Amino acid sequence: MMLHYFLRRCFLIGFVFVALTILAFSLSYLFPGEVLTNISGLTDIKPEQRQSLIEYYALDQSLLQQYIAYLNRILDGEWGLSFSSQQPVLSEIVAVFPATIELASYALLLSFVLGIPLGLFAAVKADSFLGRLISGITLVAYSIPIFWWALLLIMLFSLTLAVLPTAGRISVLFDIPTTTGFMLPDIWLSDISYKSEATLDALRHLLLPAVVLATFPTTVMIRFTRDSMLAVLEQSYIKTARAKGLSRAQVLYHHGLRNALLPVIRQIGLQFSTLITLAMITEVIFSWPGIGQWLLDSIYQRNYPAIQGGLLVVSCLVIVVNMLTEILHTLFNPLARKA
Amino acid sequence: MKKFRLYFEEQNRGPLTQLWQQFQRQHAAVFGLIMFSFFLLLTILAPVITPHNPYLQNPDLLLLAPSWSDQGLVQYPFGTDDLGRDLMSRLMKGATYTFGIALITVLGSLLMGLALGAMAGMSKGVKSSIFNHVLDLALTIPSLLLAIIIVAVLGPGLWNTTWAIMLALLPQFVHGIRNSIQDTLKQDYVAAYRLDGASNWQVLRYAVLPNIWEHLTVMATMALSTAILDIAALGFLGLGAQAPTSEWGVMIADALDLIYLAPWAIALPGVLVFAAVLSVNLVGDGLRTAMKKRREN
Repeated sequence: MMLHYFLRRCFLIGFVFVALTILAFSLSYLFPGEVLTNISGLTDIKPEQRQSLIEYYALDQSLLQQYIAYLNRILDGEWGLSFSSQQPVLSEIVAVFPATIELASYALLLSFVLGIPLGLFAAVKADSFLGRLISGITLVAYSIPIFWWALLLIMLFSLTLAVLPTAGRISVLFDIPTTTGFMLPDIWLSDISYKSEATLDALRHLLLPAVVLATFPTTVMIRFTRDSMLAVLEQSYIKTARAKGLSRAQVLYHHGLRNALLPVIRQIGLQFSTLITLAMITEVIFSWPGIGQWLLDSIYQRNYPAIQGGLLVVSCLVIVVNMLTEILHTLFNPLARKA
Repeated sequence: MKKFRLYFEEQNRGPLTQLWQQFQRQHAAVFGLIMFSFFLLLTILAPVITPHNPYLQNPDLLLLAPSWSDQGLVQYPFGTDDLGRDLMSRLMKGATYTFGIALITVLGSLLMGLALGAMAGMSKGVKSSIFNHVLDLALTIPSLLLAIIIVAVLGPGLWNTTWAIMLALLPQFVHGIRNSIQDTLKQDYVAAYRLDGASNWQVLRYAVLPNIWEHLTVMATMALSTAILDIAALGFLGLGAQAPTSEWGVMIADALDLIYLAPWAIALPGVLVFAAVLSVNLVGDGLRTAMKKRREN
């Protein structure tokens, strides 16, 4: 049963990956400029090089063979050169990607820690003043444009109160050797004498971007947990459990919470692509050196190989997260396995 | 749930009237509707009622403070920007871009979604499964990334990014419409209608569509709030509307250099985006609650 399900998932993922690489491959033709330049990333190609490059990229053969050659290069890690720096695109992505994942995961974590309890509270005490207040604030926070919210917080905390930094991951005073690419683990793994100061500084840099980025997922989490909990509380099995003499807390925990959180798991996967969009905007505003800022710089510089590579990496991340949440959902929910 | 329901006169109204009755009981939703109508009016009337030309530069009045400060002039309620253009006129004209184009985007996306969703909902087997997989792919590409790719292919501009937003909104429409069509197709009255000899098209037109339009409206309001936020964000990042255009996101980006001198030039367009999105969300939430209550009665 589960094996069959996993096989079907794998087939679906395979299909999506093929379609995604076809899209990325076709971009070399769709972008303005010469195909050979777009596909290799070399900005000045000498005439004597041209023939060997055309043969290398299989441009003299049919589209299908070109696509297969492209797939091989992707799998070998040859993603072309970036127009602006003439460095391999893949190594640039590897350098910036952890920063995005770090920011997004802290924001997601924050949204779990805040969103689920608040949502549950708003559902259980739906008619109380606090419950209404939570729902009201959620609606307001749901409507705030993220870049404006970020600017307001910068104006308040950085310009007026001058308590938090506006840009970057850590003050330039600290020299942290890169091992994993994630700032906090890097600080802890390094053998520097100013570890605690560096950690504190990194956390201060992290606070504003993480809060800004967490705003949207937290509100979604609150709304969704609340709606799902309210729907579960109306079910007959809750009444049955109450009638059997379980206390309110027992019913809420064993029968309410477990059933209400199932659709919430799924929602994380569905909202993840929005989260990435928001992370990209947040990175630009806070000069966070992640893939969002890198991609937006690439579009300003018309750096086509970089955009192509960014598309592949970001979409793969979203697909993987989607798949993981879906599998988790199926593992926890026997009812979903039948479909 | 009541098992037997007597048809008292006041209960026995048309579905639209019942919906409105439930809707107007929620004060927040009515407030949202009023704000929404205000923005709609502003969108349509903005070219006529702006007090000054939103693009006219006045070198004598650069960076005029808003009229509530001592240095302000009453003719320029929100002051002027660094090129001496009247901020209030620009904000009013901005409604046409941010709010109006979001409306057009959602309408276009809704129509496309309706066509595709109907095709997916009415078809079965391999065809519908292929459809799902293509949609799953579209769902995985974040909307900003889609906009970046479209800008890379077509160049920046308000209309080009409109395509990106339409494409980004499309999957949720198709998914939602397909699901609600399939739910409706399971109903007994559809089976009865089929037994009467109705064709697929007749089933869709007379049995399914009248029963899903409420759901469509709620989906459209949710999409509208996303569309407004996306248009403003793309304008802010310089991918959407371009500099002289008084789109709200572009105005915030323009005012960034003046963050110390004229913080209100950042605050005001943001307040408008926020108010527009909030009004749409209030109406959407109100509609959803009203729909639920109407079904329960």
